[in-house]
Amino acid sequence: MNFELGEEHIALRRLVRDFAEKEVAPIAAEVDASGQFPEGVVTKLGELGLLGLPFPEEYGGGGADELSYAILLEELARVDCGLGLSVEAHISLGGSPLNRWGTPEQKRRWLIPLAQGRMMGSIGLTEPEAGSDLGGISTTAALDGDEWVINGNKCFITNAGAGSHGLVNVLTVTGQREDGRKEYSIIIVPRGTPGYEVSEPRQKLGLHSSDTRDLSFTDCRVPRENLLGERGAGYRQALAVLDEGRFGIAALGVGLSQACLELSLQYARERKQFGKPLFDFQVIQFKLADIAINVELARLITYKAAVLCQEGKPYTKEAAMAKVFASEVAVRAAEEGVQIHGGYGYMSECPLSRFYRDAKLLTIGEGTSEVQRMVIARHLP
Amino acid sequence: MNMIVCVKQVPDPEAPPASFQVDAASGRMVIAPSVNPVISPFDEQAVEAALRLKDAHGGKITVLSLGKDAVPHVIKKPLAMGADELILLQDDALEGGDSWSTAFALAHAIKKIGQYDLIFCGRQAADWDAGQVGSGIAELLGVPSVTLARKVEVSDGKAVVERVVPDGYEVVEVSLPALITVSNELGEPRYPTLRGIMATKKIEPIVWTAADLGVEASQCGVAGRRTRLLKLFKPVKEGRCQLIQADSPAEAGEKLALKLREAKLL
Ligand SMILES: Cc1cc2nc3c(=O)[nH]c(=O)nc-3n(C[C@H](O)[C@H](O)[C@H](O)COP(=O)(O)OP(=O)(O)OC[C@H]3O[C@@H](n4cnc5c(N)ncnc54)[C@H](O)[C@@H]3O)c2cc1C
Repeated sequence: MNFELGEEHIALRRLVRDFAEKEVAPIAAEVDASGQFPEGVVTKLGELGLLGLPFPEEYGGGGADELSYAILLEELARVDCGLGLSVEAHISLGGSPLNRWGTPEQKRRWLIPLAQGRMMGSIGLTEPEAGSDLGGISTTAALDGDEWVINGNKCFITNAGAGSHGLVNVLTVTGQREDGRKEYSIIIVPRGTPGYEVSEPRQKLGLHSSDTRDLSFTDCRVPRENLLGERGAGYRQALAVLDEGRFGIAALGVGLSQACLELSLQYARERKQFGKPLFDFQVIQFKLADIAINVELARLITYKAAVLCQEGKPYTKEAAMAKVFASEVAVRAAEEGVQIHGGYGYMSECPLSRFYRDAKLLTIGEGTSEVQRMVIARHLP
Repeated sequence: MNMIVCVKQVPDPEAPPASFQVDAASGRMVIAPSVNPVISPFDEQAVEAALRLKDAHGGKITVLSLGKDAVPHVIKKPLAMGADELILLQDDALEGGDSWSTAFALAHAIKKIGQYDLIFCGRQAADWDAGQVGSGIAELLGVPSVTLARKVEVSDGKAVVERVVPDGYEVVEVSLPALITVSNELGEPRYPTLRGIMATKKIEPIVWTAADLGVEASQCGVAGRRTRLLKLFKPVKEGRCQLIQADSPAEAGEKLALKLREAKLL
């Protein structure tokens, strides 16, 4: 076993860390306060080739592996988890399904602009009545001649209104199978299609710089060839997309926890009470040691899931483990981080307070901790 | 156009000062293991200067670096930014040199490369800050040099260089081939791109030893030094605060100005 990162992984980490510290850190507090999607930064990420990181070069991608992808998200979340989530949803949920099941024509049309960051990608699975229980969705798509006619509502969709151009991969019910169960299919809907409306951005506890909206489809018509992959494959596709998204969320958790560790360590060394630095109190040392242990373990399982994925091995269980562990570590690291910072940690100006609010989404989005544990239990030998 | 950029790997100058200690007995720097190696920032700007010319006129950029301890992901960064080729001078005989012996080895490597229109160096390396190597190479090669560039343009076999001076800049024209040292006023170097990083992974640096350069061991590295470091120490910095007492802000300002003039700071 070898725990060394490749030369390209280290160079990529340097690049993203450098970029995040120079371009993202100075605006992170500002976009958190305003809820503005940081379009300028996202454009620059596109120019550096990072928004198409795992996609093939012929479709404008970088041809990098899943470990590189985890490193990208980790380093973004270390500075702004909201931006990290936008990038994760863009790549894992927006571009990746197209890369996996799109026709060459669909990829030319949509994957290339997604990879170059000229268009933002998203996925529409969740509905007001169906979250963890994805099968319960009721958005329908019916073939009318050469067009799909889509009706229904989606909610909490990341990137739905981000940037000037976008598309959403919508999970729909396209009919009934012979066994009487619903037939699901994913259909690609570009933003701006008549009958497809996006709401104003939703107000959230955290991750303010990430764009979250509700979608409504009213007799929304798209060409028949906007079907992604096979008709009837939608449910399976959605689960596969979530598998891949899981170590993405895990990587965000690792990055956020790492930030909490670094900031808390620095603060504990500088802040003096009772005549000595906080770090000299064993209670504080133990808190920091515990965060450090958890960050390290979260990173290991996340990288393991990424490596299994890139080697084409089964990784559902490991991805679920990484997701549940890293997200729960992030929530704890942020909480302890605020605690170490005391009253200052509770002030909006302290980045810890932002990380504390941001972390919670990680145990909910792309499958809650409860759902992850169900997945893990199902895969136990 | 053929360009050569000399770059040096140094300990990150942005690392906290406490990570740099002096071992007085041996006269050596002791650098904390937490300090990452980086390309000297002025050298990255030299790479950027070459890349801007490549963007405008095309051409080939060869990066040249001396040092045995070069770390692949660090020293290959100029390639990921857009340079074409990397040559490393790696040999025990080349280590431990001063500005003279470093310039000597680099000049021989440049002769071996042969074809060049422009050679770029950073204005000084961010570790020792001597700022001698660039001019030394030019001298040894017998080509003109322009130091402290903030902008470089090329046309009709000449380079026009904006050169930083204390109260502004001067414009210098120089025939090619020439050597130019680049100052930070040139502006931020570009980020490497993902595509660059991926492509760079497959590029193997060319490695030359002293023998490849055709130089005697006695002429380079420690043996070739013409200077000797007599003393290395951390200067003791003292901070003293003097409060200006006055009845009005205007009076305080005046008193402060007089004090500053007395201290020759104004
Ligand atoms: C910021 C944000 C961004 C999002 N982005 C997207 C997006 O881009 N695309 C998209 O499609 N969705 C998105 N979502 C939706 C997200 O995926 C869902 O919120 C999530 O899957 C949970 O579904 P739910 O909210 O309906 O909760 P529910 O499914 O109603 O769950 C409520 C609680 O019950 C628990 N629970 C449910 N079923 C079980 C069970 N069988 N056993 C035990 N416990 C159970 C859950 O774990 C949870 O604790 C986003 C959500 C947020 C908050």
